[in-house]
Amino acid sequence: MKSRIPSGLPWVLPALLILVTLSIYPMIYSVKVSITDASGAFTLANFIRLFQDRLFGAAAVQTTVLTLVALVIEFVLGLALAVLIDSLARARSVFRAGLLVPMLLPPVVAAVAWRLIYNPQFGVLNGTLRRIGVNTAPLTWTSGENSALLSVILVDVWEWTPFLFLLLSAGLQAIPPEPIEAARIDGAGAWRIFRDVTLPLLKPTVLLALLLRAMDLVRIFDQIFILTQGGPGTATETVSLYIYRTAFRFSNFGYAAAMSFVLLAATIVFSRGLMRLMRAR
Amino acid sequence: MMRVSLSLILCALLAACSRSPERTLTIAVNAGVEGTALKLAAKEWGASKGVQVEVVELPYANLFEKEQLDLTSKTGAYDVIMLDDPWFPLMLESGSIAPLPHTLDADFVASCVEVCKDPKHPGAQYAVPYVGNSQLFFYRKDLFAKYNLTAPQTWDEVLAAAKKIGAGEKMFGYVMRAAPGNAAVADYMGLLWAFGGDVLDASGNPVCDSPAAIDALKFMLELGKYSPPGYAGFNADEVSAHLLQSTALMSINWPAWIAAMDDASKSKVVGKIDFTPMPSERVHGVGELGTWIVAVPAASKHAADAFDFIFWATDAPQMKQAALRGNPPTRRSVFQSPDLVAKFRAFPAQLASLESARARPRTSHWNEIENTFGIYISKANSGAMDPASAMHAAAAEIARIQQRAK
Repeated sequence: MKSRIPSGLPWVLPALLILVTLSIYPMIYSVKVSITDASGAFTLANFIRLFQDRLFGAAAVQTTVLTLVALVIEFVLGLALAVLIDSLARARSVFRAGLLVPMLLPPVVAAVAWRLIYNPQFGVLNGTLRRIGVNTAPLTWTSGENSALLSVILVDVWEWTPFLFLLLSAGLQAIPPEPIEAARIDGAGAWRIFRDVTLPLLKPTVLLALLLRAMDLVRIFDQIFILTQGGPGTATETVSLYIYRTAFRFSNFGYAAAMSFVLLAATIVFSRGLMRLMRAR
Repeated sequence: MMRVSLSLILCALLAACSRSPERTLTIAVNAGVEGTALKLAAKEWGASKGVQVEVVELPYANLFEKEQLDLTSKTGAYDVIMLDDPWFPLMLESGSIAPLPHTLDADFVASCVEVCKDPKHPGAQYAVPYVGNSQLFFYRKDLFAKYNLTAPQTWDEVLAAAKKIGAGEKMFGYVMRAAPGNAAVADYMGLLWAFGGDVLDASGNPVCDSPAAIDALKFMLELGKYSPPGYAGFNADEVSAHLLQSTALMSINWPAWIAAMDDASKSKVVGKIDFTPMPSERVHGVGELGTWIVAVPAASKHAADAFDFIFWATDAPQMKQAALRGNPPTRRSVFQSPDLVAKFRAFPAQLASLESARARPRTSHWNEIENTFGIYISKANSGAMDPASAMHAAAAEIARIQQRAK
């Protein structure tokens, strides 16, 4: 009689056990924590609170703005750099290696460095601007109500544009030369070739790059924690930061879990929307 | 031969079983000067008692998370925990801190002992105060003397000196921290109390929208005009950097920064800064208490050793050693020790401040209340809200937190 246990099971069992212990069980536990109160009774209070919580609302708006603005800037810059460096005959690898340096730094180190750079009095940014005659008195960067989010976005753009550049550059190199040659023979100019040939062929890479970066931006935490701690006020408070505070500072794991699931759902919806948009074009 | 082998194996097994379990003590401490002194003390104690000591050093933010997780899950991962006093009411709530086997002696400063009690059932003590931190007022005594001014006794005098000396010396008259959360609250509380206001009343209801509280916030904004631009995002590092670089005249600060002020390798103001208790205004000024305390989790598997250690580490001779390592003591006799007073010139001011210092409201929801309160103080300081609207909004949010907790 043939055994009903798959022969490969013993080999995948260790990995399966690790997955169940470290991912699936905590996920189920999080669901349980989010829908039960302190006495263990079923409740949807944590999810209802989400719609009444002004701090969560502000954090959700900030996260959306930060994600969209940073994503657009990083994509445009990453694509421009990829096209530019791809067109270079020489020194391509030198530029590529140089551009990757910010991405290789741990985000915490980059954020600490930028915190020093942004210091209104002692920082190198205002110091340099002062030397060239700019009045830096109103330039408070991470402390300004209107400039704090922009300062955070700037750090993210500096650190993660190379990631998009790297993916898009790899995508450009994977495009076969024949369609571009054919378009050139047909008399198409550089912009026309880029718009009608290169970009459509690059679409799968663009989709992958945007998805990966968007998912990372939605859960941005370390840069903000070090640069602004969500301030001033709630000007740079993001959902991840609020979830962290709720769970580990206020010890409210149920509400933090509920927020995490909403963030997960929003990320899935955003990703699906992005995929449809890209496929439709 | 077989019998001999079996006998040997049996003997080895019996010997292994009869060995007493190794005595170990795991201590969670703050990664910083406060924790370093306790870590060194633990090693000395372990060597003298034949107990293996494992010290887990964690940054301030992670320390709370790890300790709270250990206490709520009752894993007994730590035998001794070092913690900041505002965390204590929440940690006591789950009944996971063991009460002290005997009460603390009268040499400990009373304000430090108070925060070692359960606010809901005052009486039993659950921790021993280890580091006697309370806010002090730092000011440039050389510049005050130059302008024939004495140490500021009131906040109005602080503001007047900030205007006069700041303009005369082309420096910032005052520097404060107003980053959201703990930073903004810590620098506002001294003003709030001096103006006669408070965050919560005796019943735990928010009163931070009282006229006194709004006036205190307006005064904070007035001081902000003489502070460096961007102070709404400042933390302790930026405040101290301005004092150390001689670009600011005065600030509220913690004793941990005193040593840096007199360290020529870091400071341009060696010997020029003096320290006083907090200025008064409508009522007597008091500083915020920030005592580091040590406690034994109820789930500790080595409670007897843990209590032995915390009482040993906080007796007068050991606390003197900790003071020499940079920790402000919690015992009056150590503060008044002549050789320490000769070595640490701020000790008299520190003791005076500590004796009158006030703990932050002792509620298990303080972390959330402080976060919310700090957001609105920060919003007012960054110009996003006016003081009255900010305090009304803060009171409403705090009321919601209290309501949810019921």
